[in-house]
Amino acid sequence: MSARILVVDDEQLYRHLLKVNLETEGYEVSAAKDGEEALEMVSSRHPDLVMLDVAMPKLDGFETCERIRQFSDVPVIMLTARGEEQDRVHGLNVGADDYVLKPFSATELVARVRAVLRRAKTTSQIIHKRYFSHLNLRIDFARAEVWKSDHPVYLSATEYRLLIQFAQHSGRILAAEELLSAVWGESYREDKEILWVSIARLRQKLEDDPHNPQHIVTRSGLGYMMPASEGVSSDEKGL
Amino acid sequence: MTTIPAPTRVFPPVDTNFLYLINKILSGVDNLHGALDALVPVIRPYFIFDNVVVFLIDPMTLNLDVAYARATGRGKSAEADVAWGEIIGSQVIESRQSILQEPQDPDETDRLRRPHTLGVPLISQTETLGAIIFIRFGSPQYTPEQIAFAEFLADQLAVVAARENLKSENRRLEFQYRTFQVQEDFISTLSHELRTPLGFIKGYTTTLLRTDASWDEQTKLEFLTIIDQETDRLQDLLSNLLDSAKLQSGQIMMDFQVVRLDALIKDVILRSRLHHPALVVEADVEEPIKNIQADPRRLAQILENLINNAVKYAPDSPVMVKIYSAPNGVITEVSDHGPGIPEKYQAKIFDRFFRVPESGSSVHGSGLGLFICKQIVQAHNGTIDLRSRVGEGATFRIFLPDRL
Repeated sequence: MSARILVVDDEQLYRHLLKVNLETEGYEVSAAKDGEEALEMVSSRHPDLVMLDVAMPKLDGFETCERIRQFSDVPVIMLTARGEEQDRVHGLNVGADDYVLKPFSATELVARVRAVLRRAKTTSQIIHKRYFSHLNLRIDFARAEVWKSDHPVYLSATEYRLLIQFAQHSGRILAAEELLSAVWGESYREDKEILWVSIARLRQKLEDDPHNPQHIVTRSGLGYMMPASEGVSSDEKGL
Repeated sequence: MTTIPAPTRVFPPVDTNFLYLINKILSGVDNLHGALDALVPVIRPYFIFDNVVVFLIDPMTLNLDVAYARATGRGKSAEADVAWGEIIGSQVIESRQSILQEPQDPDETDRLRRPHTLGVPLISQTETLGAIIFIRFGSPQYTPEQIAFAEFLADQLAVVAARENLKSENRRLEFQYRTFQVQEDFISTLSHELRTPLGFIKGYTTTLLRTDASWDEQTKLEFLTIIDQETDRLQDLLSNLLDSAKLQSGQIMMDFQVVRLDALIKDVILRSRLHHPALVVEADVEEPIKNIQADPRRLAQILENLINNAVKYAPDSPVMVKIYSAPNGVITEVSDHGPGIPEKYQAKIFDRFFRVPESGSSVHGSGLGLFICKQIVQAHNGTIDLRSRVGEGATFRIFLPDRL
């Protein structure tokens, strides 16, 4: 089966350019014009590779890549402007696999895509998991939305990042230091009180009874965890 | 300078409510002058003085300036002839310590010649900001409690002064930042506008050059057309950039001659139709229209630019051109029925590199076109303005005088 590639660029002429060149290689190419559309298409079409422009209005390429990484390990190639070294580094930091510098030659582009696909896992191995659910809690990674028994839950950016840590490692005890450096950064590693307050606030929003938490439980002396549940939903169930 | 002698007059001890009041006053003011105006009448029952002076170090020049001076008692009538602590001020700032100066000649009968002077530095964190000087003519001497109180006041005032300095520093930086931001925006707009067509030219050319793929004639033609159009776009951008730089520095000489506007507009419309075959222009030209003095090539450039803008930003609207006489000149209007320009941007629309943020990245532009138009119109001693309402289109109105 031919690989399926999603190209994301706000410039129509770039989408067209990528499409015609990649189609000659036998790839099946679809296109998105912004980050939000890209996130929807990654979750609904499960492409084998995403080519992502950096400079897009609203959701830029970096943010889109970061959000894709929360639910999918599909290979991502960033399209970056030449000369912006920090862009390349940033791209790799947010989870991109490779980058192509604009302006690019068609031959180079095709060669890069071939190389990344060769290194990448085969289609069946790519994990796309847009939705996560735990008891009555549900997370939509593509939209960064949280639902509790079909009611939306409004979380701050930090609270959401904290919750994602638990969801991505459900069934595992996470030490306070681990959570602090993942969510707040290395310099907050010892700042346990800030974690306690945030967990207390998360519980207020997520738990039916915050004094008897079911989603984020304390493992005294070890850390916190989201107990593994049977209800990990697949994408097919949808919202 | 002496040690502090016993009090000769008893003041009430400072009470808590009084401290609360001082705190309220100081947290409510935004400058040292206001703080002192409010404080002076309040503190006098606890802390008597005749003159008070505040010297501040000017953060830019490091000179000492008088920031505040009040004569409240005995010194009032003597004006500049009495002690104002001008020397002690520098000493206090240099030593960063309170200094007490007692009268040199205790037998002097004129009180105004027996000043008791107390100078206290204004220090915020480690920075010496200035000094406050209290002067009493004649008795009483300052008690240790009063000196402690004066130091407390000085510390509070130093916070106010530091806050004021930070505010003005902040204003200065904000201004610099805005200037910097404009330059930054210019560089990013320009590099985006230059890179995008270059990227297409490079991309589509190398697509055609691929040895491992072949394209049918129609596709080849499509790619070549894109390359051609993008080359034009680069060309336009470069000539606009050069024009705007030259106009800005006054290097473009206008070639003024007698111009027939009705003939000129016909040419412009014909040429615009070549680029935009679907263009509909409704021209309404007063007959006969009087001749004006103008540079015909530059005038055509303005009108083409305005028509192109209408096509670009109001693609489904016909373009109306109206030319009519006015006292001492001729007015030309170019209108469309497009989305219009929000009022908040209208004042900036002729600024160099300004682009309406809502126009989005789908419509390309460098923010130079209208700037160039305005420069050319001004070189004709004319005026250009915009009338627009969101949803009702836009009208650009140019007045050109018939004599320069």
